[in-house]
Amino acid sequence: MAVSPELVFSVLMGLLLLVVAGWLTRLEDWQAYTPVGGGGYGESTGHGHEEKPAGLTRWLTTVDHKDLGILYSLFGIVAFAWGGITAMLMRVELTTPGMDFLASFGGVGLYNALLTTHGITMLFLFAAPLIFGFANYMVPLLVDADDMAFPRINAIAFWILPFATILMWAGFFLPLVGIDIQAAKTSWTLYTPLSSTMQGTGVDVFLLGFHLSGFSTTMGAINFIATIVAERDSVSVPWSKLDIFSWTILTQGGLILFAFPILTAAVTMLLLDRNFGTMFFAGEGGGAMLWQHLFWFFGHPEVYILVLPPMGLVSLILPKFAGRKLFGFKFVVYSTLAIGILSFGVWAHHMFTTGMNPRLTASFMAISLAIGIPSAVKVFNWITTLWNGKLRMTAPMLFSVGFVQNFIIGGVTGVFLAAVPFDLVMQDTYYVVGHFHFIVFGAIGFALFAAMYYWFPIMTGRMYDRRLALWHFWLSIIGGNITFIAMLILGYGGMPRRYATYLPQFMTWHAVATVGAFIMTFGVVAFIWNIWQSAQYGKRVDSGDPWNLKQSDQFTNEWQWYEGKRQTMLADGGEEDADDAESNAAD
Amino acid sequence: MATEESEDHGHFLPAVRDWPRGYGEASWWPFVTAIGLLVVYTGASLYVIGRGTDLVSSSIGLGAFAAGWAVTVLGMFGWIYQAFIVDFWDRGSHNGGSSLRLGMLLFLGTDIATFGAGFAYYFFIRAGGWHTEYLPESGILTSVLVINTVLLVVSSFTIHWAEGQLQKGNHQGFIQGLLVTFLLGVVFIGGQIYEYYEFIVHEGFTLTSGVFASAFFGLTGIHGLHVSFGVLLLGILLVRGLRGQYDADRHVSVTTVSWYWHFVDAIWLFLVAVVYIGSVFGTEFSPF
Repeated sequence: MAVSPELVFSVLMGLLLLVVAGWLTRLEDWQAYTPVGGGGYGESTGHGHEEKPAGLTRWLTTVDHKDLGILYSLFGIVAFAWGGITAMLMRVELTTPGMDFLASFGGVGLYNALLTTHGITMLFLFAAPLIFGFANYMVPLLVDADDMAFPRINAIAFWILPFATILMWAGFFLPLVGIDIQAAKTSWTLYTPLSSTMQGTGVDVFLLGFHLSGFSTTMGAINFIATIVAERDSVSVPWSKLDIFSWTILTQGGLILFAFPILTAAVTMLLLDRNFGTMFFAGEGGGAMLWQHLFWFFGHPEVYILVLPPMGLVSLILPKFAGRKLFGFKFVVYSTLAIGILSFGVWAHHMFTTGMNPRLTASFMAISLAIGIPSAVKVFNWITTLWNGKLRMTAPMLFSVGFVQNFIIGGVTGVFLAAVPFDLVMQDTYYVVGHFHFIVFGAIGFALFAAMYYWFPIMTGRMYDRRLALWHFWLSIIGGNITFIAMLILGYGGMPRRYATYLPQFMTWHAVATVGAFIMTFGVVAFIWNIWQSAQYGKRVDSGDPWNLKQSDQFTNEWQWYEGKRQTMLADGGEEDADDAESNAAD
Repeated sequence: MATEESEDHGHFLPAVRDWPRGYGEASWWPFVTAIGLLVVYTGASLYVIGRGTDLVSSSIGLGAFAAGWAVTVLGMFGWIYQAFIVDFWDRGSHNGGSSLRLGMLLFLGTDIATFGAGFAYYFFIRAGGWHTEYLPESGILTSVLVINTVLLVVSSFTIHWAEGQLQKGNHQGFIQGLLVTFLLGVVFIGGQIYEYYEFIVHEGFTLTSGVFASAFFGLTGIHGLHVSFGVLLLGILLVRGLRGQYDADRHVSVTTVSWYWHFVDAIWLFLVAVVYIGSVFGTEFSPF
């Protein structure tokens, strides 16, 4: 038992030694090194030998925004799997009112730990990194930049993320090897005094990982803003021609800049409270209210940090398959900026039931209702873009339309919650859970799936399997709506959130929710299988314009870049290089 | 994959001559830095586990924590050395350094938020019931505070003066100004350590002394870390300046570090007004 943490440490040190060993192997042929200008990279690693180390080293040392984009996306999908597995374990447990399925594994404690990691994983390790993945790959292409503004910071920001994840998930895996630290059971909101007094060092380990991951996001945001503002080719892409996705990434960066450091600072204070006897969140000090203010001052902008770029993705993809330009482009940009600014003024709508000053609650209610207006502007713009369009129901289009549908339900239920009297009744019920799942899975998740299918040809050089993608869509939209509508109904019935067991009267709708969750799971399996298989064996893309965008005059920068890349590869001597580049990308 | 577009896209190649040699557009330093951070946080985790259980001794955690920082700093130095320092005069400046200047401004924006969270705590407790027993017995306003404040304000002027000399082409004056700023920063840190020593050892006013102590040590501590980091940056500028780098046209890092230094100075003045003077204002310790 006592050796095990040392063992973990030794493994880490071993990893470091591996890196050193990697250097040494490279040093050996130092003399043979040719600078990149002569095409050295391709010759020395791509053609000469294909053993794993060279391939792995390439991924460990890359600072290319496209490679990092692929790494971010892969990481996001792995995290999605973990978030999904934990969700399914909870859903199976919730099929029946009592504690049965999880009882022999850890009971209510395990359920609470799963609940915590599911929320944290889906928000911070799935949605945000996947957004960063697409942004990494596409934003420099869309704004005609050579790369991100700070390529090395970009790489540091990415690598921090899987390392932080090890610590954040450690509470689940270390007990398996005999190190008995308890996984955090604080729920993702980490409310004090629960989080500041909860026993178990697993909470601290989780908080440390969470703390580390915040640096990754902040570095990424600085990088994106600097790229869009300073690296953009101001001749070919002036501000007036900046695409909608880059606009949303720019706004997201601005939100991250002021939201994430608050979280990092609050987590630091929490760690100090837990370990060094400070009183930041003790009853005599800031207490539970200060935590909630700080957390939600971060937490509500975080909602828009996660939803604005997906809105940008849909605004980008939807017109491509409607055969029309985005309706009211300017207003979509303005509404993005408006949401960004208003998002810092709504945080206390999470705290209506804490007994804060009623005059304050009224003003927060007003701003929260107001933020519905720019959101609705976007919805009407999307619908109007579809109006009279030549719709092509490809997988990315289906997911974009699904996004709009889910966002309307998620958004309207949110407007209700923003009203104080309604919130006083619904606070902490499954109604809230249903509402934000419509947003996080139904909207954010759907937009990310749409982007995955839309840019799949660029990122892998191959086409996805259309049939599987359709299965993915229909299972997701049907399963998602069954589950989340069941949750809304449970909320109306008064089912409180976060509980592992419940009164028998709620059983029917819980069972329905579980059935829906299984349907979604089949969809997600189809998705992951499709991505995995098609990246390796899918049909090769045979032109630089697989979506026929030239027809409707929407052949945007990233596709132009892709077409140029294909032509360069052909001019270079064709097949073999193209194969190589594509299989590399598919790795 | 990386090379094809480098030709048709006029690609910016950040790491062509990296050491140990990279692979075209690649560098080991980001990965080394991230590994370092992993060890730092793993060390902190082991330290906490060691305190809470008998699974591991917490000194192993502290050791890993220190080793992790060493690796992180090594990684960052390698990165900065390769990206900016080696071949300074040959590499030319990329878009006139506007990305870097913007990057620093954005970083300072995040820093406002970081300090903001700490100040939010302090305002939260200051606006509530306020008792003088939260404060150290002999009060919080000392002569060290006055001296330190003067030093830091003067150092803001000296770095500004040094920057001006560089722009006038007086490299010698630039070095002198930078050296004075660096020394003022070092003395400030010394003064801060002395103040902590007085409070902790002689007054028994420590991190755990109550709600004000949390705010005081939290805010001055994070500020002190910022000053220390600034002194490190000034040291790097100094070494580079002594090696003959920077002139009237090429001084992006001088500009960004001086912004950082002014920012840290401004935070200090706010901190003195709010936390030092603000905490005694209206109490029997108040000199006003």
